[in-house]
Amino acid sequence: MKPLLFIITVCCFSFCGLQAQTKLPEIDKSPMDMSYYPSRYPVLKIQDKNTEPLIARVIYSRPHKNGRVIFGELLEYGKVWRLGANEATEIEFYTDVKINDIKVKKGRYSMYGIPNADKWTIIINKETDTWGSFKYDEKNDLLRIDLPVQNQTEITEAFAIAFEKSATGANLIIAWDTVKLNLPIVF
Amino acid sequence: MFLKRGLSIISLIILAGLFNGCQNNDEKNKPVVETKTMRLPVSVNDSTILAIDKSSMDMSYFPEDYPKQKMITPNMPNPVARVIYSRPQKNGRIIFADSTITQNVIQQYGEEWRLGANEATEIEFFKPVTINNKTLAAGRYILYCIPYPDRWKIIFNTNLYSWGLHIDKTKDLLNIDLPVIKNKVLIEYFTMFFQNASYGCELVMAWGDIKVVLPVNFN
Repeated sequence: MKPLLFIITVCCFSFCGLQAQTKLPEIDKSPMDMSYYPSRYPVLKIQDKNTEPLIARVIYSRPHKNGRVIFGELLEYGKVWRLGANEATEIEFYTDVKINDIKVKKGRYSMYGIPNADKWTIIINKETDTWGSFKYDEKNDLLRIDLPVQNQTEITEAFAIAFEKSATGANLIIAWDTVKLNLPIVF
Repeated sequence: MFLKRGLSIISLIILAGLFNGCQNNDEKNKPVVETKTMRLPVSVNDSTILAIDKSSMDMSYFPEDYPKQKMITPNMPNPVARVIYSRPQKNGRIIFADSTITQNVIQQYGEEWRLGANEATEIEFFKPVTINNKTLAAGRYILYCIPYPDRWKIIFNTNLYSWGLHIDKTKDLLNIDLPVIKNKVLIEYFTMFFQNASYGCELVMAWGDIKVVLPVNFN
């Protein structure tokens, strides 16, 4: 009787387990996040405190450093990276802007990065709603820009992207581990 | 006979286990009283290191898993819909209650709820769809709800890019009453996803022991 009991119990629990997993998306290890320019735009909007129109929004996922060496090890130098996790990072402009002196029309784009020890290449690509950089195709690039790496003493544990006001528009700040980059956006 | 007895013993064991599990969980997750004070995101001007949100953001597409499907399917047509929302956690609290219960409650019946946390929940249709017999043009909307014990009123609104704590009702576009359905399992994190339907797709919204299903017609 005992083995039968055991088998039935195991079956019951596996069944419960399966039911619980059916279709429901789990909480992601690398949670998604969103940044705006002007920063905190949605909060300012409901407080009627916005002094500038909405210019841009980035949607990305935030992997954690988790004790690992990120650049040069977890992420190989010279290889295209989706700038986050899961879906390719998405950047949307609500007005025409300029990056690296190239006009970027209002709309949605994907963003990728090629990390290197001293400089990164940031890519704005026209193919949206994609997963990772597995199907990244250079022929859909809108532009590329090389940015110097600014090494930080403080470690950024969770990959972060955010906008900061600049004299000519905004800087998109990209930070993880000890690396920080500034992507100038002119508008 | 033996099998029957065995099964009833097993059921008892499982029930006891579940009950115990719940109790332990309640002790571990000390009740957090949700206040309606605004929790502001960390400003980038203070630090470039942004805090990870307690109610993390998530995104669901129709067709389901669209970005992954696109990776393996050549010439995939455009997606039909996408929802972006944040996922609060039950964390031992009562999710929905009437005004007689005030402690440890997340959301009162009859009051507007942003269907998530933080920013208003955003839904985008990449082609026109029909909801509650009304045509909704392709584009982006925010989605909120007014929950009741037996039904939810789901409302489409055009006040985009707003934080979810203040609803501008003058921008309501259409609404639909949907019955509350009991779940077999308890869902810890608020969850939204699309599933196939003969007439188009359905947006499933589930939390705790209930779910609500919004029909989206493609004709």
